[in-house]
Amino acid sequence: MADAWLYDGETALRHAVSIRLEGDALRIARADGGTASVPLATLVRREDVAGDAILGRRDLPGWRLILPGGVPADLAAALPAARRYGGVIDRIGLWPAAAAFAVLAGIALALFLNSPPLVARAIPRSIEQRLGELMVGDFGKRGCATPAGDAALAALVQRVDPDDPTIEVSVVRVPIVNAVTLPGGRIVLFDGLVQAARSPDEVAGVIGHEIGHVRHRDVMESLVRQFGLSVLLGGMEGNVGGYTNTLLASAYSRKAEARADDQAIGLLRDARISPAPTAAFFTRLGGKDAKAERMFAYLASHPVSADRARRFTRSLDPGAHYQPTLDAAQWQALRGMCAASPKEENGWRF
Amino acid sequence: MTDDQAEGDSAFVFTGDWREFAPIAFTNLLLTIVTLGIYHFWGKARVRRYLWSNTRFIDDRLEWTGTGLELFIGYLIAIALFFVPFGAINLIVQGVLLRGHAGMAGLIVFCLYIALLYLFGVAIFRALRYRLSRTFWHGIRGGSNDQGFAYGLDYFWRSIVGTLALGLMIPWSMTSLWNRRWNAMSFGPMRFSAEASWGPIFPRFMLFYITPIILLVLVGVVAGAAVGTGALAGISPNTPPSPGIIITFALLGIAFYLVFFGVLGIIAMVYYSAYFREAVGSMRLGELWFAFNARTMDWVKLYLGNFALVVVTIGIGSIFLPYRNWAFFVRHMEAYGSVHLDDMTRSMTRTPGQGEGLLDALDVGAF
Repeated sequence: MADAWLYDGETALRHAVSIRLEGDALRIARADGGTASVPLATLVRREDVAGDAILGRRDLPGWRLILPGGVPADLAAALPAARRYGGVIDRIGLWPAAAAFAVLAGIALALFLNSPPLVARAIPRSIEQRLGELMVGDFGKRGCATPAGDAALAALVQRVDPDDPTIEVSVVRVPIVNAVTLPGGRIVLFDGLVQAARSPDEVAGVIGHEIGHVRHRDVMESLVRQFGLSVLLGGMEGNVGGYTNTLLASAYSRKAEARADDQAIGLLRDARISPAPTAAFFTRLGGKDAKAERMFAYLASHPVSADRARRFTRSLDPGAHYQPTLDAAQWQALRGMCAASPKEENGWRF
Repeated sequence: MTDDQAEGDSAFVFTGDWREFAPIAFTNLLLTIVTLGIYHFWGKARVRRYLWSNTRFIDDRLEWTGTGLELFIGYLIAIALFFVPFGAINLIVQGVLLRGHAGMAGLIVFCLYIALLYLFGVAIFRALRYRLSRTFWHGIRGGSNDQGFAYGLDYFWRSIVGTLALGLMIPWSMTSLWNRRWNAMSFGPMRFSAEASWGPIFPRFMLFYITPIILLVLVGVVAGAAVGTGALAGISPNTPPSPGIIITFALLGIAFYLVFFGVLGIIAMVYYSAYFREAVGSMRLGELWFAFNARTMDWVKLYLGNFALVVVTIGIGSIFLPYRNWAFFVRHMEAYGSVHLDDMTRSMTRTPGQGEGLLDALDVGAF
């Protein structure tokens, strides 16, 4: 026998009741008359409040039985146990649960962070190409074009990566010193880079680097990773997710950049093109900003220029017979390509 | 049986203690970290259970019955309905931009924002409905039969009209939207009624327009005086300014910036405190009238306190913000009139199945 309060969920009236166990049911007698039997199986324990135990019913949402001062000792075995965190955590305790979660989280994180390369490689090239079409359209396809310039570019690509039909390179009229690999594997050189380069060997190094991205499917991988991270970290509040996302993504992209550099070094060696001009190119690019660049190396997507230059320099083989990538006439044709070709018109091309 | 409550202390009492809340906040933080953020939703439910159960209305405490699972499912639905399509549109916008059609891309982004405005409205309504449907008092809950889609349209056009005429209609759009959503809500068998009007709060809203003008005039007068007294004689267009002058100007600029935004922030609270008093003060439920008694200084103290708490603890203090905000809200709530407990019967409104996912995703407040 114990005294308790009852809300029946039908009206807001509070009833004084006394309860006692009767087989596998709870006998509830109201002080103002009337008794009811509630099967123990329908009872759920809610979180205790200020020392009071509170029971609810699975079948009646507003029904509450409030036991002031907690569950009496004689009922404790029959009634559901108190809950705090809910579910698994109450069953095994806070600290064991936290440890178990941490282990699971570590495994999930490791799987998750290592899956983008696998997922990226599992996506057929044709789908990646269609995705590329959707994202960037024919950007880069409508590049600068002159017969001599096209021939020179083709010769350059053939030197760096002989007889690879999947590689597609174009030059666009953008005055930025950069080159990009687009989703779908198209390599686009910005004219600003061609103008900033002092020799075709420097352009060859850059193209080798971009070919590395194409071979490793780095663009697809980073798309998959970005998508996954944004879904996973969306659950965190505010900027924490955003910062974590940036840090993780840039760590991975630096790894991919370093790998693409290795590929470029290999291609240059096989093609017997000297890596020294490429190294010089990176040193020039680093220039005055080298210090600032190192400070932010953890947030930048590319490895520090000086480090990149050093790796290319290290691959220089003093015994090798290096040959220029293009002759002077071809180099002039490549550099003059954008100036000589007509301006592209803008039109809808989906 | 009648339960009268009119005299004496407020009908709302907050009985929580931050020392009781701290273990909840810290274990939530721990579990959220080790579950890579998934426990966040369960933690939120636990925080609300504590806050609600320490909120006494007349003679008994409130009860929060929402679960972490509901919030989690709501969040997943929001991702499927919201992030995935918006991500796809983002890709298309990029494609359109790269094809050189900035105008078209702008149009798509514009349409996206229009759609967002509508979704914001729906999210605010549905979050309020969800919260009422999970709030129990004496075994009775609240809710609404509206799904919030009509409110979304209302929110959409009233927000746009509000910004017309240099934003002068914002008080009207805020109060009329408050009325719209609360008039659709009920507790037990009774509907809320809200009749907030924009007239009483409009004078304070005018401060947004008058104060910047006064500030600019003041700055003009000070600058004029400086020129007049020859304080700026050291500056001539032909010689480079000395470092002292540059620093003075920089400091003046920073001071102006701080004063300008500090003053704007205070005006915002002057206005908002009046808005919230008017909004809550116009509400009725059966024979109960509500009131909110926080003055501008109370809001300023709340915000400065929150700000200091977060800054001093390098962000960790933010786990106490739900506690501070709720305690502030309850301590300033009042109610007058009476509740007839035998008339207060079970709510017949449909209970929404999932939580405030869209609101979580869009990060807007419900009240």
